[in-house]
Amino acid sequence: MDFIFMQLAGFGGAMVDLVVDPLTYVYLISSVFLGIAFGALPGLTATLAVTILTGFFSNKIPLDYSLIALLGAYVGAIYGGSYPSILLNIPGTAASAATAMDGYPLAKAGRGGEALGLTTTASFIGTVIGTFALLIFVWVLLLVSKNIASPEKALLALFGILLSGTLMSEDLVIKGWIAGLVGLAMAMVGLDPLLSEPRYTFGWSYLMSGFQVVPVLMGAFAVPQIIEGLRHVQAGQLTEFSDRIIPRMSAIKKYLPTIGRSGLIGTGVGALPGVGEDVAGWVSYGVGKTVSKNGKKFGKGSLEGLLSSETANNACIGGALIPLLVLGIPGSPPAAALMGAFKINNVIPGPTIDPEIILRVVAILVLASLTMFIMGLFTARIFIKILRIPQTVFLPIVMVLTTIGSFSVGGGINDLYLMLGVGFVAYFMNLLKYPIAPLVIGVILGGLFDETFRRSLLISDGDMSVFISRPGAAILVTLNVALILSQLPATKRTFKWMKGRLV
Amino acid sequence: MNDEEDLAVLRTRDFWSAIALLLGSIFFLWKTSSIPLFGENRAGVSGADWYNSAALVPLGIFGGMFILAACLLIISIRAGGASTALSKVGIGWSGPEALRFTTIIVVLAGYIIGLVPRVDFILCSALLITALIFGYRGGHAPRMVLAAISVSIPACFAFFVNLPREKWNATNDDWLTLAVWAVFTLFVLTQSKNDRTTKLIPVLSVLAPTILVCAMAFGFRQNVPNRGGLIFSQIEYQYYVTIKPLWSR
Repeated sequence: MDFIFMQLAGFGGAMVDLVVDPLTYVYLISSVFLGIAFGALPGLTATLAVTILTGFFSNKIPLDYSLIALLGAYVGAIYGGSYPSILLNIPGTAASAATAMDGYPLAKAGRGGEALGLTTTASFIGTVIGTFALLIFVWVLLLVSKNIASPEKALLALFGILLSGTLMSEDLVIKGWIAGLVGLAMAMVGLDPLLSEPRYTFGWSYLMSGFQVVPVLMGAFAVPQIIEGLRHVQAGQLTEFSDRIIPRMSAIKKYLPTIGRSGLIGTGVGALPGVGEDVAGWVSYGVGKTVSKNGKKFGKGSLEGLLSSETANNACIGGALIPLLVLGIPGSPPAAALMGAFKINNVIPGPTIDPEIILRVVAILVLASLTMFIMGLFTARIFIKILRIPQTVFLPIVMVLTTIGSFSVGGGINDLYLMLGVGFVAYFMNLLKYPIAPLVIGVILGGLFDETFRRSLLISDGDMSVFISRPGAAILVTLNVALILSQLPATKRTFKWMKGRLV
Repeated sequence: MNDEEDLAVLRTRDFWSAIALLLGSIFFLWKTSSIPLFGENRAGVSGADWYNSAALVPLGIFGGMFILAACLLIISIRAGGASTALSKVGIGWSGPEALRFTTIIVVLAGYIIGLVPRVDFILCSALLITALIFGYRGGHAPRMVLAAISVSIPACFAFFVNLPREKWNATNDDWLTLAVWAVFTLFVLTQSKNDRTTKLIPVLSVLAPTILVCAMAFGFRQNVPNRGGLIFSQIEYQYYVTIKPLWSR
């Protein structure tokens, strides 16, 4: 129990530091506003918001302020995605896809204000649930992570890439794994971390230092979105509403169990490496539909359905930061962009991270969710106006933002060539239904995997049993093998046969 | 297209992507063979053991990619991807979509490769914004082609005339870009009698990059592309000579 009080005290201290600093509010309000606007504009995503701000803020202002800007945009964008889902039936972000199922029918029934108000409240509570889970579990995990050495780190990185590839694949799982391997391969470019042996540089000195994270992130997330979005889309009919946005206490009380359950599900899904807010939203929606007495009404304008997905996708933020901060493995694509920002600031997320940073992150998340809550309730009509901007107008400006952001981090034209190249590859990968998140996670974790895998073998003089002789490593090897085996057709057939026999 | 047709198209694309991945992984496996694996001598210095070699992880990655690509190839062939591989329907790309994609590629490549390194950032971004908004609003094919041409003319000029780095500061390409942007903007305005958004393009195209580049250069004090560009060099001069002394004294 002591550790909870210790954490809460630390959190209180971090919160006071933030609250008394006037600059906090400047960054917080502007980043949350920008995040909600990004989320609300169909065609722009939370990942893109965090990626673009990483290019802008990560190495230009102190880490504390850049964290406020990035986390504020993250929280705002995940919430902002609910606006077009509810009012246009177009999910603003992938995370809000499940929201449209019930949000739009509610808006069509003239209950758009009620839906927006409750969504705002649920998103706020969801973020707070995820944040406090981060505060508590991070401490427990930090204790465990003291026993994490090179073999465990290598296996964890591999598990993160494999799991992300498995869960993020829309089509065949094999495509997710290939995407992860492409990311890992990209991370191999440059001087190797142990022997400084040049790899795949093709005599180009720029490649000696490897691929930079920010241009890769910009290329992977922004360029395909710009190419895909520059097409004629018939503007959706904005559903008008006249009911009040500020929710009634009785309604909040009524749906509190749904919000609580969805918050926990979102946090849990977010904690899985590489699995994003969209999966959290759908899992929570599915669970809600199964356990709710009114499950049959889901998809026909059920507030319970709406809150199931919206609470979970915001709760996922705190969850996604748990593996990022404790293990150095991003829990979601926007968290991968955040990891890029940490790296640029020479902060290495993982077992050696300064616990003070975690406390500051928690305090920032609470403030960001509060800002989002206030803005969502009182300035919603501004964001509704933003929905009317066609994507062919804002995407060219995003391209300029991406270019200057990518250039300014490394300060070189070569970064722009890299961004463009990665962007074209990512566009074709999207077209072929290869998920992009495992690729980015592969790029980010590739160096760590290479270094720790070979370091483990170096310590053991090439004895492969180093990966099974330690309990943690043995568990991780089992998880990795089980994950691969579970996707083999033979295993699937066996499970199906066994299920049939049991029935 | 229905779901079955979509899947057939996807498997055809998988067929081609699997072949590309197989060829890629073979190429990189061959490239990896040049990295010492078994502790060869390099310049008289003994390398590391196999388990510490820089080739170890890449071999695993490209070996794994080869196996997965082979699996994907088998899946796609079984699903009929090979039989429709060369048909237009199989590839699943319509003419208008191919035109849209190609023109965007021309615009973006022209902007990043030709213009940004050599031309004033405000000017080339203004041209990009004008071309993209005008070209892709409404989905008119002739507008897309016009957008691609308007960006590629100054981009090609800048790239071929000022190719070496020492010529990147030349302003002849800036003037050409400015002229193309001005003519193009006038044309856009003549086409937008009833369209409020199109009328906003000139303002948006100049204002957005100007604010961004100034924020980056003077707010965050970061490097920006082509500091010696036609417009930015003037802004920078006025900032340091006229504006900044107001509060620096």
